[in-house]
Amino acid sequence: MRKPIVFTSEHEMPPMAVSLADMGHNRTGGWRYLRPIYSEKLAPCKSACPVGNDIPRILSLVSEGHYEDAWRLFRETSPLPGVCGRVCYHPCESFCNRKNFDEALSIASIERFVADACFGLEDRISERPRRSEKIAIVGSGPAGLTCAYFLAKDGYAVTVFEAASQPGGMLRLGIPSYRLPREVLDREIELIARWGVEFRTNIRVGQEIDIEKLWEQHDAVFIATGAHRGRALNIPGEEFALQGLEFLKAVNLSPNPSPTRRGEGSQGVRLGKKVLVIGGGNTAMDCARTALRLGAQPIVVYRRTREEMPAITEEIEEAEHEGVQFEFLAAPVAIHKLNDKLEVQCIRMKLGEPDKSGRRRPVPIPGSDFILRADSVLKAVGEEPDLSFISESLETSEGIVMDRSHELLERAGVFIGGDAQTGPSTVAQAMRSGKETAQAIMRFLRGERTPKPKKLEEALRVNFAYFAHMPRVPTPQLPVSERIANFAETKRALSPEQARAEATRCFSCGVCNNCDNCWVFCPDVAITRMNGTYEVNYDFCKGCGVCVEECPRSVISLVEEEL
Amino acid sequence: MRNFTLPSEELMGSGHLGCQGCGGALAMRYALKAAGENTIVVIPACCWTIIAGPFPYSSLKVPVLHTAFETAAVAAAGVRAALDIQGNTETTVLAWAGDGGTFDIGLQALSGAAERNENIIYICYDNEAYMNTGIQRSGATPYLAWTTTTPEKTPKTEPKKDIMAIMVAHRIPYAATATIAYPDDFIRKVQKAKSIYGTKFLHVLAPCPPGWKAPSELAITLSRLAVQTRVFPLYEVEDGERYILNRPKEETALPVSEYLKLQGRFSHLTEQEIQEIQKIIDTRWQRLLRLVSESS
Repeated sequence: MRKPIVFTSEHEMPPMAVSLADMGHNRTGGWRYLRPIYSEKLAPCKSACPVGNDIPRILSLVSEGHYEDAWRLFRETSPLPGVCGRVCYHPCESFCNRKNFDEALSIASIERFVADACFGLEDRISERPRRSEKIAIVGSGPAGLTCAYFLAKDGYAVTVFEAASQPGGMLRLGIPSYRLPREVLDREIELIARWGVEFRTNIRVGQEIDIEKLWEQHDAVFIATGAHRGRALNIPGEEFALQGLEFLKAVNLSPNPSPTRRGEGSQGVRLGKKVLVIGGGNTAMDCARTALRLGAQPIVVYRRTREEMPAITEEIEEAEHEGVQFEFLAAPVAIHKLNDKLEVQCIRMKLGEPDKSGRRRPVPIPGSDFILRADSVLKAVGEEPDLSFISESLETSEGIVMDRSHELLERAGVFIGGDAQTGPSTVAQAMRSGKETAQAIMRFLRGERTPKPKKLEEALRVNFAYFAHMPRVPTPQLPVSERIANFAETKRALSPEQARAEATRCFSCGVCNNCDNCWVFCPDVAITRMNGTYEVNYDFCKGCGVCVEECPRSVISLVEEEL
Repeated sequence: MRNFTLPSEELMGSGHLGCQGCGGALAMRYALKAAGENTIVVIPACCWTIIAGPFPYSSLKVPVLHTAFETAAVAAAGVRAALDIQGNTETTVLAWAGDGGTFDIGLQALSGAAERNENIIYICYDNEAYMNTGIQRSGATPYLAWTTTTPEKTPKTEPKKDIMAIMVAHRIPYAATATIAYPDDFIRKVQKAKSIYGTKFLHVLAPCPPGWKAPSELAITLSRLAVQTRVFPLYEVEDGERYILNRPKEETALPVSEYLKLQGRFSHLTEQEIQEIQKIIDTRWQRLLRLVSESS
């Protein structure tokens, strides 16, 4: 009954006061001045992820044991989950809402678990339009690989040119195998190739092939050559020091790096026992930990203190843990060669005023020179892109601009991204750049305009009342005694039980997971449970806001009612 | 990933006249989910006289007997007797009264019914004042709270009546506290009451956003905070003897200020007064723990 009952005479009335109908005629929705609406929000982890992995949904699938579905969801946004689960510095975890409750989710270790658990699986190669346009990608690092994957998935013919003998760029040349086992990298590159991407190795642009020729032969070109040129120390005797990155490349490309008595091995690098690594970044950490594994005793020489080191804290901790020595507040001023040994003349530093980067500037202390003796010196004071293969004419006449917006580049059909554009950054940032470039290339080829970026509201409000404290599952580690004599992976995978337990810790911020709270707590019975969703009956909802307040994960918003 | 296991049956309909965020309405929704379709509800003068809807309507899908202010327990006992004479022992008779009709006006009828161990469930949904007549103080209004008859300059100086102690002293088979932020606990207690013969009494804290001068969206939060600050502990008493605490006692309590600060009816309190209230709560909590440990 939806109409008020009107008695027109006494005879129509019941003999006693008894109800004849429910209150359905009374549309209490008219009381409302605030309206609850279901609107899923962006989880802060997903927002922080450079490639936009749908972390809450992936974790929900893992918590239910649906590892394959989780893996396929990863692959919708990223072609490299096995790589990222190991080497990404997981900005997602820094923004995890759970860190304000107990500890952030261990998202990276779950990503790795999913990739490992699904190692043998393949993408379902979908029917897709074969497009006639050809695209050349120069460089097969994380930016190039990601760009190739998304273009190929959309039906474009993609050729990737790589200067080294195998594809992977910095993932293969720069990252040691104890952090990223080669079979993981090989497998994920193989899966990209399955989409029809052609890899042409041992071709260095500027030598074997000309960039302008590439441009003539293709409809679009993506320059993703990375940042491989090591910076110089600019001190006398510099020629006695080896570029850290070159050392890493030699070791990483050798089929079987192994410790030798005096560091003379298959990797063709003569290191000796005592190795000085100059610098405090991630390359320096990789150099020191690699040298350690080749039987050397590395000492990292850094001109500031541990706090100012640009390397990721986790890498510093691992290096310390494995026994790498540090000489802080010291800078080399000259390298001398005496017989077979090197003498590195250093000066002691102290910290002065903060510089542009906000870190305190190192200031030399006059007369504090001292000598560090070594068998070899590796310099790892930063890398920069080498874009000498871009000719002046191309640069000026067609307007190659090192600009994040892609706007001017799109007109030319030549795109640049990854470390080649930004200087050294992270794997995930390079992947973001590759993905964005793939989208920019598609728009360029179809003559579409760059859409205005839509910023979704982030789910920052969590109702902690609905969660119990649960400690973060620690990532299992190989004991130091078992790692320093070889290149075995130092981090171990979570067990399925650990992965599921960790995934259940996810708050699922901004994503409804059918907890029923809105339905349970509605005093007006104005919320209906549908198949996996909920619906507000606005005829009766009084707009009290209880559902909004009690939603544990800010899926419901309260908006002002329009009059 | 459901947080609760509520029965899906709805015996309360939309369109009722409860205010936004009404704790009493939600309490009825849960109670009927637990009591089931075969229930007769007896309602004396209280908010629910209005909430259910005027003649010839009712927002409840079970029979309701509206009765006079002081008569909830005895009218329910009468309905029970009538059913028994018909040989109907299946139907549940649920007296549903506010704090005014329980703590004050209906106390003698309730005491009489309890003394005779009438086979009824009596639920007092306590919103801590005579709310639908305009927020006048009742025997359930907390110490130092504002109401329209205890204005800020002269707030209520008497403590809240301990209705649970009164009912437990009748040695009825079952008495329990419950509140809307803990629906599973609430429903379990109503179902337990249903399975026991005799007088069963539930004291339900039902936040009233307008009367407590709090935003309506905080109705559940306030109910939860009442438990977490130990203003309103959840417990059961069987046969007037066995005390069962429903929240772990080792759990650390939140300070009472967390609960008070969200409600305008306490906004006039000084820091010293809040400390005084905290002391009363601590003492009462210790007493409850003692009763629990003595009876186990």
